[in-house]
Amino acid sequence: MQVTSPVRAPLVLKKEENGQKRATTYHDITEDICRQVEAPPTNPRWLLAMLLSLAALGWGGYTLYRTWWFGLGEWGLNKTIGWAWDITNFVWWVGIGHAGTLISAILLLFRQKWRTSINRAAEAMTIFAVLCAGSFILMHMGRAWMAYWALPLPNTYGSLWVNFNSPLVWDVFAISTYLTVSVVFWYIGLIPDLATIRERAIARGDKIRAFVYGILSFGWDGSAKTWARYEEVALILAGLSTPLVLSVHTIVSMDFATSLIPGWHTTIFPPYFVAGAIFSGFAMVLTLMLITRHVFKLQAYITLEHIESMNKVIVLTGSIVGIAYLTEFFIAWYSGVEYESYAFINRAFGPYWWAYAAMMSCNVLSPQFFWFRSLRRNIYVTFILSIVVNIGMWFERFVIIVTSLHRDYLPSSWAMFYPTWVDLGDYIFTFGLFFTLFFLFAKFLPVINMAEVKAVLKSTSQTTLEKVQARSAESVASDTHQGDDK
Amino acid sequence: MAETKKYIVGVFDDEDVLLPAVKKIRAEGVQIHDVYTPYPVHHLDTYLGYKRTRLGKAAFLFGATGTTLAITMISYMLGFDWPMDIGGKDFLPAPNFVPVTFESTVLISALGMVGTFLVSRGLGPGKKATMFDPRSTDDKHVMAINLDKNTKHSKEDIVAILKQNGVTEEPKEVDL
Amino acid sequence: MAGDKHIALSDLSQEKNFEFTPKLRKQLMTAIVVGAALLIVGIILWTQGIGLGGEHHGGGHAPEGHGAGGGGDEGGHGAFHWTKRLYAVLWHDSVFFTGIALVGVFFVAFNYLALSGWPTIIKRVPETFGKFLPITGVILLAVFALGGHDLFHWTHHELFDPTSPKYDKIIAGKEGYLNTPFFVIRTVLYFVLWYVLYVLLRKMSLKEDEVNDFYAYTKNPVFHKKSGIYAAIFIVIFAITTSTAAWDWVMSIDAHWFSTMFGWYTFASWFVTGLAAMALYVVVLKDHGYFKYVNENHIHDLGKFIFAFSIFWTYIWFAQFLLIYYANIPEETVYFLHRMEDFKFLFFFNIIINFAFPFLFLMPRAAKRKTLLVKIAAVGVIFGHWLDFYMMIMPGTVGKHSGIGLVEIGMVILFIAGFIWVTAAALAKANIIPKNHPMIEESLHHNI
Repeated sequence: MQVTSPVRAPLVLKKEENGQKRATTYHDITEDICRQVEAPPTNPRWLLAMLLSLAALGWGGYTLYRTWWFGLGEWGLNKTIGWAWDITNFVWWVGIGHAGTLISAILLLFRQKWRTSINRAAEAMTIFAVLCAGSFILMHMGRAWMAYWALPLPNTYGSLWVNFNSPLVWDVFAISTYLTVSVVFWYIGLIPDLATIRERAIARGDKIRAFVYGILSFGWDGSAKTWARYEEVALILAGLSTPLVLSVHTIVSMDFATSLIPGWHTTIFPPYFVAGAIFSGFAMVLTLMLITRHVFKLQAYITLEHIESMNKVIVLTGSIVGIAYLTEFFIAWYSGVEYESYAFINRAFGPYWWAYAAMMSCNVLSPQFFWFRSLRRNIYVTFILSIVVNIGMWFERFVIIVTSLHRDYLPSSWAMFYPTWVDLGDYIFTFGLFFTLFFLFAKFLPVINMAEVKAVLKSTSQTTLEKVQARSAESVASDTHQGDDK
Repeated sequence: MAETKKYIVGVFDDEDVLLPAVKKIRAEGVQIHDVYTPYPVHHLDTYLGYKRTRLGKAAFLFGATGTTLAITMISYMLGFDWPMDIGGKDFLPAPNFVPVTFESTVLISALGMVGTFLVSRGLGPGKKATMFDPRSTDDKHVMAINLDKNTKHSKEDIVAILKQNGVTEEPKEVDL
Repeated sequence: MAGDKHIALSDLSQEKNFEFTPKLRKQLMTAIVVGAALLIVGIILWTQGIGLGGEHHGGGHAPEGHGAGGGGDEGGHGAFHWTKRLYAVLWHDSVFFTGIALVGVFFVAFNYLALSGWPTIIKRVPETFGKFLPITGVILLAVFALGGHDLFHWTHHELFDPTSPKYDKIIAGKEGYLNTPFFVIRTVLYFVLWYVLYVLLRKMSLKEDEVNDFYAYTKNPVFHKKSGIYAAIFIVIFAITTSTAAWDWVMSIDAHWFSTMFGWYTFASWFVTGLAAMALYVVVLKDHGYFKYVNENHIHDLGKFIFAFSIFWTYIWFAQFLLIYYANIPEETVYFLHRMEDFKFLFFFNIIINFAFPFLFLMPRAAKRKTLLVKIAAVGVIFGHWLDFYMMIMPGTVGKHSGIGLVEIGMVILFIAGFIWVTAAALAKANIIPKNHPMIEESLHHNI
């Protein structure tokens, strides 16, 4: 018996039918979420979106070809600034890729029921974002076909192994582990829903879907024992993924923080990068879910309550990031290290002041609007701010990377970084990749975890008034019952 | 499958009816083959008398394997096979090896544990599901009782017990 | 199975409210007497020059004449005087217990914001912790007034005077932050802000108890809503002040040294200690027949909290250590070098007791559900983090003259007894279960 407090708002709204409101049933959930999977892929809006994504992918594919064929000279890097656009984008995408596992792992451990409506799409988004991040690594390698050199393999040049002291090698392990575990986590969650689609296809006589989803659903039958083991698997995976998700951005931050470069070498980097990653990831989830919810008419499942909860996470993580900025700035002064102080002054007031201003206003100030309930529950404000946050987080990485590098100890080699059109094209490539994959996912797989929403339906669909009425009646009944006993 | 088995299948639509029903049906001495549900019903496994899973222990052992593998690999490669002076540190700077060791622990623990789960529950690409009632992936809880294993009760008895405990439709016989 | 049957709200009347019994008072008095006796004997021995250490540490690595990296005791004061170690001991325990008290308030506050259900039943325990804040606040200020010069190298005026031979350019550069008036203002401000919000939160919580009709109240839970607002304000203040307090009270002891992580590191240590303290408190109360409706699932969750945040502490500890170790910049490594060489055992023991022990011990499910095992874990973690703070404070203040002797033990007994006295008295003043908290039903039926 699950008891839910009367003050909790419902997480699944009522269905409206012929002007009458009625409680949503388990079957409604199946229908509402399978609808788009079972429809033929001819929705004009979906086709248009897909076309745009493929166009971005195609254009980016051309610049990617130039990057690899002509070499990194196509980029705007110079001798002083050896890392800029590519690493900024890499860190940005990896950061975005933190929300999915956070939602499915950390929020599972914290038993946040609102997680159930958004975890599937967030996890999918995570996987795609990590793939986009990985593509920048391959781009920057210049010779992507040598990528396997980053693995500890015996090679023909003598037994020269990869350097396990290098944060870049840690990155290889962290990101590939993260990608693998995220895919596993996501897929394990998909299996029961794929079985639902399989059974529906069999019932309709849709042979193609029955065959494809039959293979994909791994022979799932929903037995109580399997479910019990499945829940344990989810819990252990969550327990493993929680430190994993922290470790990934920690290690990304160590790409910078283990170095001696002023502005990079600061001990707060690991947790502050993690907070920033969650911040940007949640913003991206919001951007995508607000659209998905609208297009697929999922307002009953992704409610204002869900949006508000996500906005709370945004204001929390945004403020943590803000405190970290101020801490860094303060300690740069407090340390008395002049290079460190200069790096921070240069960030705020140097030639890249505009990037710093963009970062501060988008990341620290803009989420503060979410202290107000009415703004947290306003879809338009949320949508705009979710994009603003990701702009800010992009600038954060740009600020950290470029401003620390462009003025090194030797003023004669001070330089500025300007992206070339190939740089831009490579960034567009990852957008094409991300959205193509996301739209394919949204079309062919259920965007909401049906089984998990069903599991919380009973305890989360009543309104405050219904709960109060039901329970005060119950308590009166049990009181009189006790009276009878005496 | 050697021969077909006979099952009585009862359908429930509310978990709060199902759980006490499971308790009472088992108390009557009827052995339940399994219950198929569209979503994880909390504590159904304990009501059915299933033991707690040992997947946690498996995860721990796989994790320990991952840790050992990583430590062995890194120390062999950088400490013995090809020692290099990197940043003036020792040849085996333990703190620097923590990140990769951690990732390896998590990776092997996760993959091993999920693999154990899939194998132990007979799940895998292309495996056939045995469905007593397809609605168990939609909105019904489906209880299957193996008649061959319940020789103490007649078929009619079992149907009657099911009916007393809140099935929403007439229990039916299914041969598998 | 616990939590399986329905518990009506009227059943809560069967719950026994906490009594601050004469027996408990007597036990606490005994503890205070024992603690004081140990303290006095220890001090008498100190005045005879016994137990002040210094001979077995060698101390060859401490840079002379600096606050940074310890050896702060060499700061031109001549012979070591025992009062300095007494101040350091007081400072250590006050900072440590401030953390526990503060985390109690923090726990209550963040649970309002997170709309969490399960901890409602044990909420009154952390809610009393805040009562101890004024006491540690007064002690901290008094110690700073009396022994500020002994503990904080930067309080010496000559360091800021360019004409003085002791002029220290780096410390002088920090004068805008590290100066006595501003330090005192900050410390006072922290305690005032924390305590005021604590009082407001407590007041709302007690007012909620007076509500008559629970279900009518839940339609518009005014006290709950107000608590949410106070909680939000508290969290914002807490987020900033834990970092700054950590810089002030702990990091500035090693005045040259700096680490951006330090505030969060101190927070992590405080937080897990506070969680362990409240788990211990709840379990002991349950052993004494209180908290009838606290079931093993609540205990399990408290255990999970200790487990998770022990790992979090380790993460923060390791991230800070690794980055400093890796970059190998002298002005940063000095902090760890001093601790690794002169406090070798404690340095490594710190990781064992605060990471390996809770991690391995609390990993099995049963360990988080059995009250005895949770008690063992909580005691271990609290002791471990007491040592963690010892390692933060002692090397930079008393250095080679530090140690864990009669005075340290006596003092910590006094603090523990005082803490229990204050919190138990507060606990006895109200219902042990906040019976009209809107989430109470969820907590009563907590079953994972």
